[in-house]
Amino acid sequence: MKKTNRILTILMFIFLYIPMVVLIVASFNTGKDITKFEGFTLHQYAELFRDEDLLRLLGNSVLIALLSTGISVAFGTVAAVGIHSLKPKMRKVVMSLTNIPMTNPDIVTGVSLSLLFVFVGSGLLGQRESLNFWTLLIAHVTFGLPYVILNVMPKLQQMDGSLTDAAMDLGCTPVQAFFKVILYEILPGIVSGGIMTFTMSLDDFVISYFVTGSDFVTLPVEIYTYTKKPIQNKVYAMFTLLFLLIFVLMVVMNLLQIRAGRKRETMRSVSRGRMIFRRVIAGAVAVCLLVGCCALIFSNKQEKITLNVKNWGMNMADGSDGTLDIVKAFEEKYPHIEVNMSYYESNEALYSQLNNGGITVDVIIPSDYMIDRMIQSNMLLELNFDNIENFRYVDEQFKNPAYDPENKYSVPYTWGTLGILYNTKYVDEADLTGWELLWNEKYAGKILMIDNSRDAFGIAQYLLGYSINTTDKTELDACAQKLAEQKPLVQQYVMDQIYTIMENEEAWIAPYYAGDCMLMMEENEDLAFYLPQEQGFNLFTDAMCIPTCCKEKEAAELFINFLTDPEISGANMDYICYASPISAAREHMEAYLAESEIVYPSEDVLEKGTAYAYLSEEITRYVEGLYQSATKLNTFG
Amino acid sequence: MSKELIRLQDLTMEFDGERILDSINLYINDHEFLTLLGPSGCGKTTTLRIIGGFLNPTSGTVIFDGQTINDVPPYKRQINTVFQRYALFPHLNVFDNIAFGLRVAKLPKEEVNERVNRMLEVVSLRGYGHRHINSLSGGQQQRVAIARALVNEPKVLLLDEPLGALDLRLRKDMQIELKRIQQAMGITFVYVTHDQEEALSMSDTVVVMDKGRIQQIGRPEDIYNEPKNAFVADFIGESNILDGVMLSDYKVRFFGRTFQCVDKGFAPNESVDVVIRPEDIDIVAPEEGHLVGVVTSVTFKGLNYDIIVEFKGFKWLIQTTDFHGEGSTIGIRLNPEDIHIMHKSEYSGMFGDYSSYSAEYDELTEDAEDEEE
Repeated sequence: MKKTNRILTILMFIFLYIPMVVLIVASFNTGKDITKFEGFTLHQYAELFRDEDLLRLLGNSVLIALLSTGISVAFGTVAAVGIHSLKPKMRKVVMSLTNIPMTNPDIVTGVSLSLLFVFVGSGLLGQRESLNFWTLLIAHVTFGLPYVILNVMPKLQQMDGSLTDAAMDLGCTPVQAFFKVILYEILPGIVSGGIMTFTMSLDDFVISYFVTGSDFVTLPVEIYTYTKKPIQNKVYAMFTLLFLLIFVLMVVMNLLQIRAGRKRETMRSVSRGRMIFRRVIAGAVAVCLLVGCCALIFSNKQEKITLNVKNWGMNMADGSDGTLDIVKAFEEKYPHIEVNMSYYESNEALYSQLNNGGITVDVIIPSDYMIDRMIQSNMLLELNFDNIENFRYVDEQFKNPAYDPENKYSVPYTWGTLGILYNTKYVDEADLTGWELLWNEKYAGKILMIDNSRDAFGIAQYLLGYSINTTDKTELDACAQKLAEQKPLVQQYVMDQIYTIMENEEAWIAPYYAGDCMLMMEENEDLAFYLPQEQGFNLFTDAMCIPTCCKEKEAAELFINFLTDPEISGANMDYICYASPISAAREHMEAYLAESEIVYPSEDVLEKGTAYAYLSEEITRYVEGLYQSATKLNTFG
Repeated sequence: MSKELIRLQDLTMEFDGERILDSINLYINDHEFLTLLGPSGCGKTTTLRIIGGFLNPTSGTVIFDGQTINDVPPYKRQINTVFQRYALFPHLNVFDNIAFGLRVAKLPKEEVNERVNRMLEVVSLRGYGHRHINSLSGGQQQRVAIARALVNEPKVLLLDEPLGALDLRLRKDMQIELKRIQQAMGITFVYVTHDQEEALSMSDTVVVMDKGRIQQIGRPEDIYNEPKNAFVADFIGESNILDGVMLSDYKVRFFGRTFQCVDKGFAPNESVDVVIRPEDIDIVAPEEGHLVGVVTSVTFKGLNYDIIVEFKGFKWLIQTTDFHGEGSTIGIRLNPEDIHIMHKSEYSGMFGDYSSYSAEYDELTEDAEDEEE
């Protein structure tokens, strides 16, 4: 019996700690593949400390965590004392009221806070940008408070009530009594409540996601939008450090408590030790608040213009792997401007974020059909091309595109094709007959399908010979039918997860964007790209626009101009592996990219490509509904 | 006698419509050791807390040194308290606990040191200054609590059942200690207890309370010898209480016999309660006794035997040093000074009958008497 108990305990610990072990091992791995440990390295850690962005994000998270903890602890403790002084019946009612927010789903709290902030900020105060650092802080305090109260209350209840009387009897005013006596009694509760709040705040994603503005982003929110590529190894290194930090903190806390407890038993002078311990904690809290405030004042003091750019993840060269750090280069050229990058996962996500309001964004880079939609929804500002001189370098064929016929709202950023990535080791060249490759039963279970309605329907439309911009519902229904037929063969519907799956050869065939395919081909040389020219394929353009919620239009235009410089554009393409709409940029690109048929298909190939146009709101919804029922809903049916 | 220090006038206290104190009138003299004595729920702690300033009376006034202090908060009163469970500050050592009040008053460091050290001497805890509170025994904690209150040199020290948590032996020692400290410091003590022995042995004045009312105020001897009603007679020591009729001054009739007594001033033929203390009864041979009864139970108590004797269906408690076996017939004699006569009161008939007596009776009641809040 004892033995089984022990084994169970060990199993439990393995269960609890094995994920952390995997993470730690991954952080020391030389190889990028987490399934193979290739060698020990500290490289990831060096990278981490060189990555200013990541450190700044971590700093942001820590700052918010410290400030929200400080405020929650102060208010929570006062509130707990207040609640404690109520009559028992009332106390119970109030306690259950304070507990409800804790059990409330985060997503509900997040959305309601977001609504409130936008309502108060935009509606009542008329602010352009109602979501910002302060709303984030308020939100974190909101969910931190109940934890402090919950931890402090039991300590108050355990406390001998006559201690307060005794302190007052000896000349203390009620306030003095609190600071000289009660505080010491409830300190363990305050500390544990504070630690809980701190850790909750540090890793909160759900609530933060809804209330965060573009001026101040925390690490978890950023990591989530980072999904274009699998999480980088230096992030593992950071998580490892975070885990170890908290682990050490907890161990030290426990040791101190054990020591204090033992000292008390041995009847020695403990009060000195405990006093020191308490002063250390009090000092730590004070320092946290002070540092937080200073950092805050400091960060607010700089009189720089902040330019908020919203981009796809991994869609701008950032200095890694020997590429140019575009943002840095821009900031060096224009020292008065500071670029603040944030990310979105899909055109549709960007649309809804802007549509919800409450944020400031100066530059966005959506795709063609979405630009069309945004123009029709009056979400874009007209550009002042006097500030975008470099527009002259843009190739004529990319000027006045269908999605922006008079070219008033957009400057093209990249273009590319959607084709099929396949693994030459497993896929017979003879099967490359067209889009039907994705329906080939020979490869059942090894096919990945792109997970967005527009591209998936596009593929079906090319296969069936319909227009990709058809609004004919019978044609659309036929496409949906085709996609439903494909479902049994499909291993997974994916977007960014495609990288790991294809690189690790867990799947062999997947439709994806050419630039991303180039990146994957660099990682695994058995991968190849196939463009079904005969049936046609999607030719897409991403272009830079300025949304109506822009605050710094001139700086935004400077930034767009900067990115349209042929040299910059070329350097940028080296990183993102897409084609530049500026011919002159090709000279500045690395040869293997500039000469790649995949990146720059020949003229006659390009003629077969077609672009998506914005369909009506009604058709968009209709397609989305068909897509969901064809690919998702009948999973068990 | 010394001057009056505290006066409580028509003090009434109600909690949620329940009357805890019912027009208490009481004065306390300077340097006096006054004890509020009563069973739990009698209002004695409430009275003490009102004096300390922790409760505000529903009506009535508290006068301290000629000033009404109803609205003066506890930290501004020249009164200190020793709490029931000591309420020592666990995060401070002995020295810092005692120095607490002086430091709050921002006295210079040398003076604090000097006064605390002197106080440690007074409570016989020299050299314990650096000890942690939790490492002390109950008696030592008790003395720290007393020192912590006394070091502030209050005019009045309130003590709320300070010895309740101590074992019997320690309690006796501390009783003597407290009395000594009180006399040495010359401070007024207001002491709350439900232990009648404690009250009698320490106090200058005893205030017996029940149901929120004062039943009797007096010197310990008077309270014991001249209880005003059946409640006091029963609560202070053991009493056999019988129905009687006062025929005239010095003549009382009960059990069909007329006895000589030392009481007077009752109306002729007034119905009265007759109190006979168990230790005052002399046992004699049956033929010599005023009354003859049969022993129904014997309990050995160490100093004496408690025997229950049945007289004509009424059971008496008698304390005797001689052994009388169960079933033996004995006679008793009552001297005039052994008989105490009281007016009838609301308590008549409720006490003084030992028909349901059992040896555990005392202990049971004492356990049940937890202090009221």
